[in-house]
Amino acid sequence: MPVTERIPVDEAVERARAALSGRAEVTSNQGAVDVTCARPDLVGVVQTLRDTDGLRFNFFSFLSAVDWSEYPVEEGEQARELEVLILLYAPERALHVAIHVPVPFDDPTCPSITSLFGGAIWHERECHDLFGIVFGGHPRLVNIYLPEDFDGHPGLKSFKLPTRSLVKEWPGAKDPDEAAAGGR
Amino acid sequence: MVDQQDRTVKWPEDVAREMSEGRFDTAEMVLNVGPQHPATHGVFRLLATIDGEVLIDAEPVIGYMHRGYEKLVEARDYRQITNLVSRMDWLSGISNELPMWMALEKLMEIEVPLRAQYMRVIMVEMNRILNHLMFFASFGAELGAITPTFYAFREREDIQFALEMATGGRMHFGYMRAGGLKEDVPKGFFAQALKGVRQVIARLDQYENLLIGNEIYKQRTLGVGVLSQDMAYSYGVTGPIARGSGIDMDVRKDDPYLVYDHFDFLVHTAPNGDAFDRFWVLLHEVVESARIVEQAIEGIPSGPVLGKVPRVIQAPKGEVYVRTENPLGELGFYLISDGDRRPYRMKIRTPSYNNVSVLPPVLKNTFVSDMIAILGSFFFVLGDIDR
Repeated sequence: MPVTERIPVDEAVERARAALSGRAEVTSNQGAVDVTCARPDLVGVVQTLRDTDGLRFNFFSFLSAVDWSEYPVEEGEQARELEVLILLYAPERALHVAIHVPVPFDDPTCPSITSLFGGAIWHERECHDLFGIVFGGHPRLVNIYLPEDFDGHPGLKSFKLPTRSLVKEWPGAKDPDEAAAGGR
Repeated sequence: MVDQQDRTVKWPEDVAREMSEGRFDTAEMVLNVGPQHPATHGVFRLLATIDGEVLIDAEPVIGYMHRGYEKLVEARDYRQITNLVSRMDWLSGISNELPMWMALEKLMEIEVPLRAQYMRVIMVEMNRILNHLMFFASFGAELGAITPTFYAFREREDIQFALEMATGGRMHFGYMRAGGLKEDVPKGFFAQALKGVRQVIARLDQYENLLIGNEIYKQRTLGVGVLSQDMAYSYGVTGPIARGSGIDMDVRKDDPYLVYDHFDFLVHTAPNGDAFDRFWVLLHEVVESARIVEQAIEGIPSGPVLGKVPRVIQAPKGEVYVRTENPLGELGFYLISDGDRRPYRMKIRTPSYNNVSVLPPVLKNTFVSDMIAILGSFFFVLGDIDR
């Protein structure tokens, strides 16, 4: 569908605010609508943004996560932990909405939006892989990129990226003698 | 003694009748396709559950080429990242570099000179032609027609040579910089580029006759692998694949970046959403790209190709999402900067990932013999999926 209505982002923010009626915090950022909501409200908020006339963010762009633990915190600001980030697009208005859902480290769960957007099936699996977030209600939450026995979640800032030998043991024999004695 | 029962022949009509009456027992079986297959650009595996000739369930298995770019970029500065992202979708290296720099330029508020913007358009559109011709070649080959390969590579060569003149590379160009380009193009570049794109425009009819007019090709693709509009929306399918389902969406028109609003070009769509329509759109986009290159070369202004850029490339704190129309769909970078020389987090939204995630519902209840035609018509590059 081509773009039928071009509205300034402030107008879209107003519409989203009215539609969500206090369930989420709505602002704008760099020409896109920015929504922050709590985990229990997520599915309802996404559904409202998708189905409300005048908004219709019905095109799934991506779902990912951000680890904010090493982000510099300014005075007066609260330190953030994990966050699920969803980007939806409204093709009729050429507008994006970014949905931020804070997730604590000690309880990395989030409701799944796969019932609303089929595209989230793979994106949530990726997010589970890389950040260890468990999406409740996902049809089949298994690793998509990493092997099943992979240790750790590389997307997290606590997963450091030094040379390989420092992270884990070299898989296989280190020298020829060891190899001859039965190693690989 | 031969059992007389064994000697009776079951004709397809008998089987069909028995199946319709529910008397014909079949067993499901899992067919493992891949991890390597000529129909895929990279390492891709498909776990297909089949019942006779019908695919009941198909599950793509990816990740064989996962290189962890989203993690790697957090440890590299922006000038290094441009070469990394160019290797995601190796058929469109220069198109991958563009949105990454655009995201940075937006955060740093760098002005890109007009000549550089025109040059970027020329480069990216020539890259689109290369990419589409490659899929023209491979899609034909997947369906058993080898001739398109030779046509496509003949045409590719002139454009490839023009890009090589300017950048020195044939696949990974590394030509873009923050605020513009590495350097201006050499003498003779525009003539070479025009020669290449005019050739493509003049020869489109040949390509069309070669595949689209071919009866066997039609039978292999018409009505095969239908992707509905709702599904495309729900899965975030973009690019020629979405346009093949009648979705008129193109970032170049909807959300014009660079100088795309200066040019006259069409966004082709096709209504049926089958393999035939997807390929039809892809092929006709080649000419639109060629027309854009022609117009851009005609209207390109003189001037510098690099804007005023601070000595240290360091984005201020902030979040931004920038997207462009990659040859295969929407490529977006969600860049979060904490004010350092490297990104704090960079989510890369690649077109192929979303496009391929829709395969399980599309492949469901299709025939095994159509599988390769469907896979081929989704035009994906595995490096782009696995990142």
